[in-house]
Amino acid sequence: MIIYTNEGNPLGLKLLMLAKFAKQSVQLQVVNLNDAKHKDLLVLPTLELDNGQRLFSSVAIAKYLFDEEDQLRDEWLEWSTTLLAPALAHHMAVGHRADPNALPVLNALVKKLDDRLKSSPYLAGNKLTAADISVWSLLAPDGTLKGAQNVDSLRDWYGKVKALPEVQAALAEQPLKDLSFNALQNANRYGGLYHVPLKLPNTADTGKLLAEAASTLADTITDEEINAARAAFTYTEPKKYNEPRTVLPKAGERNVLVTSALPYVNNVPHLGNIIGCVLSSDIFARYSRCAGYNTLFISGTDEYGTATENKALAENMTPREICDKYFELHNGIYRWFGIGFDYFGRTTAQEQTDIVQEAFHDVYKAGFILKESVEQLLCQKCDRFLADRFVEGTCPHPGCGYEDARGDQCDKCGKLVNATELIRPRCKVCNTAPVLRSSDQLFIDLPKAEPQLREWVDHAENGWTNNARVITRAWLREGLKPRCITRDLKWGIPVPHKGFENKVFYVWFDAPFGYVSMTKRYTKDYQQWWQPAKGTEVELFQFMAKDNVPFHSVVWPSVLLAINKGHTLVAHIMATEYLNYEDGKFSKSRGIGVFGNDAQDTGIPADVWRFYLASARPEGQDSSFSWNDLAARNNSELLNNLGNFVNRALVFCEKNFNSTVPEIALTQDELILLALVNRELRGYINSLEKAKLRDGIRHLMSISRHGNGYMQTQQPWLLLKGNAEQKARAATIIGLCVNLACLLANLLYPYMPSTARTLFAQLNAQHTRLNADKPLATLLLRTGHKIGKPAPLFAKLEQAFIDELKGKYGGTQTQAKEENTSSATSQPTNVAELEKAVQAQGEKVRQLKASTKDKAVWQPEVAKLLDLKKQLEAAQKTTTAPFPSDNAKQNGTRSVQELEAAVQAQGNKVRQLKGSTKDKAVWQPEVNILLDLKKQLEAAKKAAK
Amino acid sequence: MCDVAVVKKIANCLGVAPGKVQLNDEQVVTRTIGQNKTVQGFATILESLARESKSEAAQNSTSTKEVKAQVYQWLEFAVLYVAPGSKDKYVSKQLLADFNKLFISKSYLVGNFITLADLAVYYAIYDLMKSLSPVDKENYLNLSRWFDHLQQRPEVHQGEPLLNFTTIYLHGWATGTHI
Repeated sequence: MIIYTNEGNPLGLKLLMLAKFAKQSVQLQVVNLNDAKHKDLLVLPTLELDNGQRLFSSVAIAKYLFDEEDQLRDEWLEWSTTLLAPALAHHMAVGHRADPNALPVLNALVKKLDDRLKSSPYLAGNKLTAADISVWSLLAPDGTLKGAQNVDSLRDWYGKVKALPEVQAALAEQPLKDLSFNALQNANRYGGLYHVPLKLPNTADTGKLLAEAASTLADTITDEEINAARAAFTYTEPKKYNEPRTVLPKAGERNVLVTSALPYVNNVPHLGNIIGCVLSSDIFARYSRCAGYNTLFISGTDEYGTATENKALAENMTPREICDKYFELHNGIYRWFGIGFDYFGRTTAQEQTDIVQEAFHDVYKAGFILKESVEQLLCQKCDRFLADRFVEGTCPHPGCGYEDARGDQCDKCGKLVNATELIRPRCKVCNTAPVLRSSDQLFIDLPKAEPQLREWVDHAENGWTNNARVITRAWLREGLKPRCITRDLKWGIPVPHKGFENKVFYVWFDAPFGYVSMTKRYTKDYQQWWQPAKGTEVELFQFMAKDNVPFHSVVWPSVLLAINKGHTLVAHIMATEYLNYEDGKFSKSRGIGVFGNDAQDTGIPADVWRFYLASARPEGQDSSFSWNDLAARNNSELLNNLGNFVNRALVFCEKNFNSTVPEIALTQDELILLALVNRELRGYINSLEKAKLRDGIRHLMSISRHGNGYMQTQQPWLLLKGNAEQKARAATIIGLCVNLACLLANLLYPYMPSTARTLFAQLNAQHTRLNADKPLATLLLRTGHKIGKPAPLFAKLEQAFIDELKGKYGGTQTQAKEENTSSATSQPTNVAELEKAVQAQGEKVRQLKASTKDKAVWQPEVAKLLDLKKQLEAAQKTTTAPFPSDNAKQNGTRSVQELEAAVQAQGNKVRQLKGSTKDKAVWQPEVNILLDLKKQLEAAKKAAK
Repeated sequence: MCDVAVVKKIANCLGVAPGKVQLNDEQVVTRTIGQNKTVQGFATILESLARESKSEAAQNSTSTKEVKAQVYQWLEFAVLYVAPGSKDKYVSKQLLADFNKLFISKSYLVGNFITLADLAVYYAIYDLMKSLSPVDKENYLNLSRWFDHLQQRPEVHQGEPLLNFTTIYLHGWATGTHI
């Protein structure tokens, strides 16, 4: 038999032991799942039987080798693999996978084992079975029981099993020290067992049995690390750098161009948008500047297109006015979040028109433009071609005939509709019938650019996030098709081509050039960034959410490759997944979630938002915004960990050393701390170089955690009261901690710039450049340096406050709306007044809905209407006006006729509501009332019989 | 899902009375039959059900020692990987790809007949399959074929509406996206 396992996999030991007990000869083969040879292996270890059959479940193997019916044994076997193994994997995990809940779960499992072994010599009874082997082999690696207390029966059993010759033989082949649960990560393609949720037992707390950590981190520090830490901890006079007024790339230096996807102008950005693009890119750009790279950070708003035209119609403004209004909104929000753009521009600038038109000429000359005729509906009254969402008509599907089918889909039968197939189509704006016209459109010939693009993607994609690679590969796999780059609109960049005077460029050919035109607004030498001279290397980092990837990885590079003028192509596509709001989606129309301006209103500082969003950044997979998580991170990470450490260090220095950094004489303890800090520092630099912002925060927090642990074990407050020698020790400790605080201020700067500035002021220190090539902690503040006045950096977020915010942004929206209505109108109270208000509001909603499809526009009014209706309901109740649902509760005995009438009325109401809105939240309550009424009617009928 | 509901469903499939099925203190599914006879653990319960059943799937599952071992490993796989992994985007993608590859050359998970392994994985992967778009279902064609084949059996679907696996759908114009 052959056991295939991976390096360090603890379950390999289990199979080896089982084989020894079954007296089977086996051969152990260490393999790698990434190896093409082993692509058929699903989970390691896998046992290959002599007949060639393969088994990957250790329990299946145990039952196969010891084929007997023993339910108790089987239960323990299953328990060990489905409960114990995942809990151990969670407990031993490092980094972001480490789970603080693992220890209590594991304690409970160990207690169960100990309880069982108190009453029975072996798990399944009086003799040793595969269950004992299975459990033992899980507890042995990583020394889980080392330091455990009050588990004597378990210990006895453990020793008894360990002494068995079969176990000893297995251990001789697979020494325990080589095994660790961390190796499970490479034992399957699912990333180990971390996806198995921890099952927290219902039983009460089992207390502390296992030691907190299997071995102390300090034991793992090598002499080289100590020596490196000692050598690096010296003072170097910081160099003076002149920040150039205009950043330009330089030959022979690292030049980093950072862009954030252009937010569309009429959307109010929510937290997901903010972390996905602007905030991520800002943190990265700030880091890049700290590391001394020539860094330019560009973004702006994307302003052209149908949606803007729409919004302009709805708000009775010109598109330009709409853009001006919303641009200010964006600008204000980003400014509040402390986003340090070098330039934040707009695609409606003249530079954009020049650059796009020039690019079009280049692409046209290079032969990458096709002309094709497309059939579209033209509204002669509005004098424009109608986009799908501007047409309504009768559904063309046989048997449906719904009169208000939209240009893309019929709401009644749900089938997709082609706008040109609608029967009796009508323009949504003016209600006249459009005519079918074929219009010529220009297409970019992507298939022609495809070979070049593929070649480029092959070597460029290494620097991209995984999702960007996958999405791009999916597009390339399907093969590229020509894309239409023109539209029959007015609000856009005119197409400079004969016969296309009335058309504008579509977003494909417009928005991405914004990066170039905004750079041009920043400097007239923009070409140094976008078409650098030979010898100058510009690295382009583009941040975006994953839905924007094809834009940046396929379409725009194709255009630039077609132009063939040596444009800077993206080296790093940093695409995030989506951020959800408390496990749902952000929705402006339903008022769910926190939007840019809301964050400001909460009174929570911008830096805390930045910190939280960066640590919840959806890297690798979707993540959720959660109020509780925000509070927890603020309170435990910022306040109790970072803030506590920094403040304690500074206050000790102020009170005991007269605000002067004391003499530092490093001993082994300090060197171990510095070595640990250097590990994290290296992790921080490596993460940020790859724009892994979440990991960066984790490393930063670990440094402060090490600092806290160090202070806690050294107890300088006791040493200060001791003899001269002890006081000197205390001086070293405080001196080192103040230096660490200064290091932390530097590392914190990209994430929390204003907090870092405050901390620098408290330290009376300057920013020091990070040395990315040699990430080691240095002496930043020499003995004798005077610090400033310490003060707490962070404030606690109380649960009551968080609950309040949770309610406010939780989507019911009523609270916010109530404030609106009560302040705007002098709240009508009597029934007649309310009825009038409801009618007026209803009229308003109908008008709005007729004029625009944009839910964001009419939804708030609908909410107002519903609110008014609710008030009316309440008022009617108090005036004892008959109202079906309420009355039903009051007197259970209503006549059948009464109920029938009520059912009919309510039914009509529901039909109307359903016809007017798709929003389930609106009509569901009414449906519930209806169902309730129907039930009563049934009961009444029965009673009448 | 490898929980109480699935145990009951599979008991139904096998034509066995499930007894009382619930979660114990450790959140492990437990079956109580008769007075005080209990069985713990999803896979162990399923094996006990199979022993009591005369159905085709149960007979198949216990035919030889080799088959029994293979069936068991899929029960464990359903508990450890399929059920919890379906909720994780990364893991679920990999699971779909792995099963799709597996079913290139197989009609059933074990041997060439229906066993408990198919039933356990079927119910464990049901929600994930349900969430797939028509394009995804087409991408995982072999897995879809296996799933569709199983769901046609009345004892498997048990009256639930069948998932749609037809893949005729329409492509619209590819539109650009604003953010």
